[in-house]
Amino acid sequence: MSSIQINNVTKRFGDFTAVEDMCLDIEEGEFVALLGPSGCGKTTTMNMIAGLEDVTEGSILFDGQDLSGTKIQDRNIGFVFQNYAIFTHLSVYKNLSYGLEVKKVDKAEIDRRVKAMADRMSISHRLDQPASSLSVNEMQKLAIGRSAIVEPRIFLLDEPLSNLDAGFRAYMRAELKVLQHEFGQTMIYVTHDQIEAMSLADKIAIIDQGKLMQYGSPLEIYNNPANRFVANFVGSPRMNLIDGELREERGTLRLMVHGGAEIPLSGQVRSEFSSDTKVHSGSFGIRPQDIYFGARRAEDDIEMHGTVEVLERVGPKRLVYLQVLETMFLAIDDQDQLNVGDEVPFYMPPAKSLAFDLASGRRLGG
Amino acid sequence: MTDIPTPASQTTQSEKRKGYWATVARDGQKMGFWFILPTMLLLLFIVVFPLLMQLYLSVTWWTPLEGIPWYRAWEVFSWGENYWFLLTDPRLWGALWRTVVIMGIAVPIQFFLGMALAYLFVDKFPGRKIFYSIMLTPMMVVPAVVGLMFFLLFQGTGPVNDHLGLPADFSWLTDVNRAMISVIIADIWQWTPLMFLILLAGMLGVPSDQLLAARLLGGSNWQNFLKIVLPRMKTVIIIALVLRAVECFKIFDLIFIMTKGGPGVQTETISLFLYKQTFGELEWAYVAAIGLTILFVLSVIAAKGLSYMAKKNG
Ligand SMILES: Nc1ncnc2c1ncn2[C@@H]1O[C@H](COP(=O)(O)OP(=O)(O)OP(=O)(O)O)[C@@H](O)[C@H]1O
Ligand SMILES: [Mg+2]
Repeated sequence: MSSIQINNVTKRFGDFTAVEDMCLDIEEGEFVALLGPSGCGKTTTMNMIAGLEDVTEGSILFDGQDLSGTKIQDRNIGFVFQNYAIFTHLSVYKNLSYGLEVKKVDKAEIDRRVKAMADRMSISHRLDQPASSLSVNEMQKLAIGRSAIVEPRIFLLDEPLSNLDAGFRAYMRAELKVLQHEFGQTMIYVTHDQIEAMSLADKIAIIDQGKLMQYGSPLEIYNNPANRFVANFVGSPRMNLIDGELREERGTLRLMVHGGAEIPLSGQVRSEFSSDTKVHSGSFGIRPQDIYFGARRAEDDIEMHGTVEVLERVGPKRLVYLQVLETMFLAIDDQDQLNVGDEVPFYMPPAKSLAFDLASGRRLGG
Repeated sequence: MTDIPTPASQTTQSEKRKGYWATVARDGQKMGFWFILPTMLLLLFIVVFPLLMQLYLSVTWWTPLEGIPWYRAWEVFSWGENYWFLLTDPRLWGALWRTVVIMGIAVPIQFFLGMALAYLFVDKFPGRKIFYSIMLTPMMVVPAVVGLMFFLLFQGTGPVNDHLGLPADFSWLTDVNRAMISVIIADIWQWTPLMFLILLAGMLGVPSDQLLAARLLGGSNWQNFLKIVLPRMKTVIIIALVLRAVECFKIFDLIFIMTKGGPGVQTETISLFLYKQTFGELEWAYVAAIGLTILFVLSVIAAKGLSYMAKKNG
């Protein structure tokens, strides 16, 4: 177990900057997810933590200690690869025992621990078989077991669930959470699946193009996205993000959207937009579930009118695609009262709306 | 139950098939036969006929000195004398022994050097491509030229002695033991690159993430090499070793130019021995007997080896 501090780390491959000025503080025993789109530098960050890649600038400290001079072998870092990297020429038993054998652990002790781990991972019945004969699901368990058996100081998992079928994925998600509690290790988990990150992690680091966009608890990130990228990336269905020009007319501030739609800003979101006078074009954000229909609930709720284009059933609710001139709003209808083609008013509470500077993506006010 | 083929049903099937061909033959449609006939004839001439001729000559005393054409060689019929003689010919057995010694020393050294070099070359380093090309040149040189090169290098007044500060009468190629060493060095120089090339290809085939995983699990480079890299390279290693062993068994050009098999017969290998028997002693019938025997022995070994490998893999 150990804490990890990533201080202003930059990684360049030639001219290409894969990770830029990354700062993360990970506490002992914490479960942190690195979340971001493909190619954003998640694996590179992991590799630097594991010592598989050198950092170009900055430092990574484990319990305040810099391990960059320590050989990979002696760092005692558990790493589960994106494609598992199972030793396919060895038996399942030999895969599990590898980390102990190379440390010259006593034979009886190895046997005991391998059997216990196989039991824990429920692959006992496979112990004597060649690892290449395992199913993908079993390989996944073997990969985790093989790393866990040496009791590493930290545990790094690189998209461990991305190759699994949906059912097993859900099971493994729950299982990982249990395992993390059992092992008690600091875990860093790479994924580009936000649901995975949200459900597993104590903290999420959102990365885009090598830069840290936000670092915080899942709720914090969901409710309080620091910028437009995070707002857009987190949440399912996605947040509505409407870009336009800010214009003050007859005492009201409006967001003029390309195509003619106008959002009359009021209340909190209005003051957020006007908090920085240098901002002339902004992005208005609201989650679909915060848009409501029917009677107005509060005085300053923003009212708009749109045509119901598409209704899509998702479980007990329906997704509503509302067309306002050339702009599309996504809302949720939980009353089952709308029909395609209806022209309806809908309301957006300013307190639940977010304001972003379009140019920089920065959150305004908030 | 009825679907399980019994021996009886098999025979009826093959009989049915025979019946089919019989009809085809009766109908005069021997198309298939005419198609394969040219190939069969060609094979007959390039394989079977020379072999039979060799077998025939090997049981005679026929040499060009007899002054009779080969088809009248039966006049000097020797029965199995040649075969008996080769079993007890010290020069033949000596040549065989020396061939095995060269093979037994050169091939393992080539293997270890090749493996070490391959290990260095799996990782990228500046200038890797250039070194790689340089490394491979020796095996592209004509063996006879390599022979000449080392012939010159190992002269008493040549560069080797010069560099080692040895006197000009410290001879390499005419010394009983050092001649052998010189020849082996030349072979190692020329063929380590091939070993290197094959082993590097094999080593690059070892998944790098598995090696990384092994390192992260705490295995030292040596442990990981033994437990991950070597087992995964097994097939490639066998291929490399067999290839080199077979090639080395046939070694000729190098030695022919460097020592001519000398001093005396100290570096005479099987190929050189056969060459000398053919063009020096003109013992053609004897050479035919040796050639057939070698062919027979190698076929048996190859067949055994193949069936062994098939059993292991199946
Ligand atoms: N060795 C390398 N040399 C050059 N560029 C590299 C190297 N490794 C990674 N990159 C680049 O760095 C960027 C980040 O790669 P990385 O593998 O960290 O992405 P990722 O977030 O793990 O993506 P994915 O979700 O697809 O696994 C990519 O654009 C990639 O092309
Ligand atoms: Mg990746």
